[in-house]
Amino acid sequence: MRTFKLAIVENDEDERFFMSEAFRTSGEFEILGEFGNGDQLTEWLYNSPPQLPELVLSDLNMPGKNGYDIIDELKATHPDIAVFATSTSSVVATREKCIRAGAKDFIAKPDIFIAYDAFVNELYQLACRYLGA
Amino acid sequence: MHLNSDLIFRNLAEGIFLLDETGRITGCNAAASSFTGYYDAEIEGKQFSAIGDSQDDPIKFRYELDQAQKRKKFVVEGWKLRKDHTRYWAETSYSPVFDDTEQLVGYCVLLRDITEQKRRQFDLLESEERYRLMVEAIRDYSIFMLDPEGNVVTWNDGGTLIHGYAESEILGKHFSVFYSPADLIEEKPRKKLQLARENGSYREEGWRVKKDGSLFWASVVLTALFNDRNALIGYSKVTSDLTGRLKDEDVLRQSEALYRSLVEQVGDYGIFMLDTKGRIISWNEGARRIKGYAAEDVIGKYFSIFYPEEDILNGKPAWELKVARSSGKYEEEGWRLRKDGSRFWANIVITAVYDTEGRLSGFSKVTRDLTERKISEQALQESFDKYRQLATELSVTNTELSSVNRELEQFTAIVSHDLKEPVRTVRSFLHLMDQYVDQQKFDLLKPSIGKGILAAQRMHDLIDNLLHYSQLSKIGLQRQKLKVEEVIGEAIQNLNDAVEQSGAQIRVESTVPSIYGDRVQLVQLFQNLLANALKFTNGNAPEVEVKSWMDNGSVRFVVEDNGIGISPENLEKIFEIFRRLHFASQYPGNGVGLAVCKKVVERHRGRIWAESAKGKGASFHILLPKI
Repeated sequence: MRTFKLAIVENDEDERFFMSEAFRTSGEFEILGEFGNGDQLTEWLYNSPPQLPELVLSDLNMPGKNGYDIIDELKATHPDIAVFATSTSSVVATREKCIRAGAKDFIAKPDIFIAYDAFVNELYQLACRYLGA
Repeated sequence: MHLNSDLIFRNLAEGIFLLDETGRITGCNAAASSFTGYYDAEIEGKQFSAIGDSQDDPIKFRYELDQAQKRKKFVVEGWKLRKDHTRYWAETSYSPVFDDTEQLVGYCVLLRDITEQKRRQFDLLESEERYRLMVEAIRDYSIFMLDPEGNVVTWNDGGTLIHGYAESEILGKHFSVFYSPADLIEEKPRKKLQLARENGSYREEGWRVKKDGSLFWASVVLTALFNDRNALIGYSKVTSDLTGRLKDEDVLRQSEALYRSLVEQVGDYGIFMLDTKGRIISWNEGARRIKGYAAEDVIGKYFSIFYPEEDILNGKPAWELKVARSSGKYEEEGWRLRKDGSRFWANIVITAVYDTEGRLSGFSKVTRDLTERKISEQALQESFDKYRQLATELSVTNTELSSVNRELEQFTAIVSHDLKEPVRTVRSFLHLMDQYVDQQKFDLLKPSIGKGILAAQRMHDLIDNLLHYSQLSKIGLQRQKLKVEEVIGEAIQNLNDAVEQSGAQIRVESTVPSIYGDRVQLVQLFQNLLANALKFTNGNAPEVEVKSWMDNGSVRFVVEDNGIGISPENLEKIFEIFRRLHFASQYPGNGVGLAVCKKVVERHRGRIWAESAKGKGASFHILLPKI
């Protein structure tokens, strides 16, 4: 079974904690880095990490560089990295806006962040579809 | 010398031939020789008819001699030839000569050349004939002669055409057949002959009767003809048919009358005539209605009575006539006066009128009262202006509505993102705590409760800030004249604690004494900018400078700090609501402060922007209209 190299960008520490717990528990993802905003991600990428993620899961609303900024920036600097956006919003317009900007897809966050299992499963399906199983 | 017959014979100026009883020539005198060319010696013994006659006609000659013998004198006229064969018209007068015994012994022939005389007579005849033919051929006039009693004795083609009678029908008839029964009762034919006789001629126009009984309007000239002894020998009568002319004149008169009554009755247009000097010479119903004057009020007056005083003082009426005279027409719109002194807006056209010889005979003036039209045009314009203003207002309202709508959309986004987040956090920790209770892990409950409380507090703050922000759009501006120093001073005063804690230096340098605006909002504006300046530092004591000056008619404010600065890509983003560049743990805040600043400035019709060089602090610039 294939595992995907992942970077997570989420400003809320609690949320990020539960989120990464769920990814690790699944065994389908290898988390290369966790960041509080786009600035931190950019800095990490700029410093040439030994391994680059295959995909980046990014929240939209963050202080400093937000999710949209990350989509824009990686499109230019790292076009090989697939960006998946996430947010509490389930508004259709938000999803369309992300995909139009260059994100591979958009996944709504679960109602509570102790229930990330289904979310992880969904992202795995999408990753297989876009990046190959 | 005795006067004897032979001597007389030889010297007589008339040409004489002497013939024997058989008609042979026995002698001729010198006068006869001179105009015939023959000498007596060469013609003696010849028949008289043989010399000079174009053809010798003995039978006719014998007859002439017999007649002369019988009548004692016989005269014939005819062409004869001279010896040189030239022709002459000869009058030959034969007289028989008898001896004492009454025996015929010969003839004495008197021969005269009367060619000239004959020619004159002939010419006369010819001219009379021509004249007669001419008269007979005239078709436009009936020309005929009456005898002294009034009977028709000659007739021409004109008579046939005009009166309808053929020559054969009318000759010999009395000319009273041309008169109507009424004229006959008055004995007009007789009276007219008498008038012509007494005065030489008589002319008149009147109705006459044709053969078919119809009437025609005749012009008649009756002339009495007298001979050289002054005796009346008749009358000439020349008649022409004027019915056609009469009809034309009548049509013309009728059309003129029609036209006049048309013009007089036109009610919507004032139409009247001026003489060359500008005096009114005609007036119509429209002029009466428009100007209020009756015809008798204005006829003979100068048309300047319709003009306002200033026009008269400027010589406008005379000038208008001058223009009309030189260019044929003058047209304008302007105020004119009615009889009661009230004004009306007139459209006038003055046209120069010329007679058939091209001389100026006056002016026509057509006036229309456009007052009502002008009023409705004005009303239309006003209503148009009103609608345009309404449309502008609508457009403004529409823009405002659109902007409100955008804010609403923004609000929706905020609620869905930013407000939902803390709620989710609270829910999440409640669920987690529920799990801990189920698992009997009571020692893990405490941190979750603390995080839940924090999240609830964060949400409380968010809602407060959001309400504050939306209030800015809703509450009307309380605009008043404000002293700049007081506004900035109040903002600094409100930040007193932060200023003291950070040990900040705040310098205010204002060259603009006062501005117009909402006190509360403008204090909030400077308070937020100053608070940011105190907050975003690298741990150094903040140095803040607030300046103001007049910039191109606007008031320019700058709040400059020595803090961490802002990277170029974020210079615009920082004004978005809930937009934060830093984690709350580093620089606490809620992302509302600069959004509030922007909203305040925009509500004051101003502009706000940030300038910064990384690491060299930031400056916030504000442009506000002076008033």
